[in-house]
Amino acid sequence: MEEDEFFGEKTFQHYCAEFIKHSQKIGDGWEWRASKDCSDGYMCKTHFQVKNGTAVSHQGTSDHVQTFLPVEEALDAPLDDFEVTETTAAAEVIKYEYHVLYSCSYQVPVLYFRASFLDGRPLALKDIWEGVHECYKTRLLQGPWDTITQQEHPILGHPFFVLHPCKTSEFMTPVLKNSQKINRNVNYITSWLSIVGPAVGLNLPLSYATAASHDEGNVSGQDSSTERKSLEEH
Amino acid sequence: MTDDKDVLRDVWFGRIPTCFTLYQDEITEREAEPYYLLLPRVSYLTLVTDKVKKHFQKVMRQEDISEIWFEYEGTPLKWHYPIGLLFDLLASSSALPWNITVHFKSFPEKDLLHCPSKDVIEAHFMSCVKEADALKHKSQVINEMQKKDHKQLWMGLQNDRFDQFWAINRKLMEYPAEENGFRYIPFRIYQTTTERPFIQKLFRPVSTDGQLHTLGDLLKEVCPSAVAPEVPMPEVCSWLPTWLLASSAEGSHLPSLWRDWEEDGPTLSQQGAENRRNQTPGTETLPNTVLPVEAKIEPTFEPSRIADGRKASLTVKCWASQGPSRVFIARKKFHWFRTKLKQQVFRAGV
Repeated sequence: MEEDEFFGEKTFQHYCAEFIKHSQKIGDGWEWRASKDCSDGYMCKTHFQVKNGTAVSHQGTSDHVQTFLPVEEALDAPLDDFEVTETTAAAEVIKYEYHVLYSCSYQVPVLYFRASFLDGRPLALKDIWEGVHECYKTRLLQGPWDTITQQEHPILGHPFFVLHPCKTSEFMTPVLKNSQKINRNVNYITSWLSIVGPAVGLNLPLSYATAASHDEGNVSGQDSSTERKSLEEH
Repeated sequence: MTDDKDVLRDVWFGRIPTCFTLYQDEITEREAEPYYLLLPRVSYLTLVTDKVKKHFQKVMRQEDISEIWFEYEGTPLKWHYPIGLLFDLLASSSALPWNITVHFKSFPEKDLLHCPSKDVIEAHFMSCVKEADALKHKSQVINEMQKKDHKQLWMGLQNDRFDQFWAINRKLMEYPAEENGFRYIPFRIYQTTTERPFIQKLFRPVSTDGQLHTLGDLLKEVCPSAVAPEVPMPEVCSWLPTWLLASSAEGSHLPSLWRDWEEDGPTLSQQGAENRRNQTPGTETLPNTVLPVEAKIEPTFEPSRIADGRKASLTVKCWASQGPSRVFIARKKFHWFRTKLKQQVFRAGV
């Protein structure tokens, strides 16, 4: 509708398109999905990970931090590396889905995610957190984006976990202001996703950062001057 | 807003008579009687059904009980939708009471959000209020409020306290005198016909030339498919002559406009006839139709009682003005929208 906003839907879609271009170059798996009526859409990525170690249902106590390995690594690693001391579950494959949608109410991107076993059994939030490194968990709890709730996906209608968007512009504004100062081009989506993603197990290869600064100079002459104006007003 | 107090009260105190029945496959120690309750339209299922839960849990063993969920005619009910919305979407055309089935096992993970406590409902409700204020006031009003004001809003809803709720909500419904309204109107349009759960877009209350937008303007802009074009009476009748004309010759076939009719086909009967012919939409032979024919439109509903956008149906009685007395009745459903339906009699000429 309106493009005089700080981060309008068109701008969002543009940054997603640039992001996906790089993703395709490095085979990172992100793609764009349009809604049925094609009026909007979202960016999504699905990946599979193998869980090693004890079963998800926390039988007994487990001292070692459970970490996730990408499937290829798990298959290559020699069997000795896997010590299963507790009740064994066959290494379970978990499907992770990450969706990036645009919120017109808050005019920021929003990260939706869910995880399930291959048979469709969903993971609870606490199970997803087990795959996240401790340092991110602490940051997540302290940080301004400290609410993860289960919500209905606005386009698909199914339950997803969501990082609440109301604080996004708070932590994104300094990032964008700073990039302006040092006159570097920034892909909003890349910066934002690199901040919120790791907290929920989503990591971005570093090459995204270098790709962003090599991006086309301006989003479009009009858009960036509007963005600059809005940034100044903040 | 003070002059709208009556409307506000009517909306707040709206109730839906509901009958809760335990799902037949739930394991019970003795038979469970249905439980009747008046549900507040503005509240949420999991907030107002503690008594329902207790009632059925009395006849069940603890080990057979897990998270409660509700279903209507096979559709799991999303507790995070207001009750009135669920009813209007799914059951408004059925007879009251609203019959809801209660489940305590096999929670449908793919369809429903979990609701482990009242805190989850509160978080969801407040999240909606905050998002609405982001649209109305760039979140300024909601953020300026203290935590206790937020709590009062929630407690007002939870305890069905109109005055307690509106003491805070009225601040969220104000706008500066120099503006003509909110920044954007917070709205969501729900339809059963779409895949997407709802339509939500940015929409300003005032147009660029200063005109106040109406609900009709909003619908035309964001949901044009739901808006039936205004169909003035003559147009509604315009297909009749075609039909009658096409069927004018003896033994002729009805035109393809039959395919526009409802799936169960038009109801075509001969007044006084013992049997009704089966019709295959698209083809029908009308024997012995005589011209000229007079058609009279009789609404099968009371026009003033129909809200815009609701389905209505039109009954057409056609009878030959000459020849053997025979009346044909056909029924067509359409979306009523600002259509003024009057009885009209017209002639179909050749």
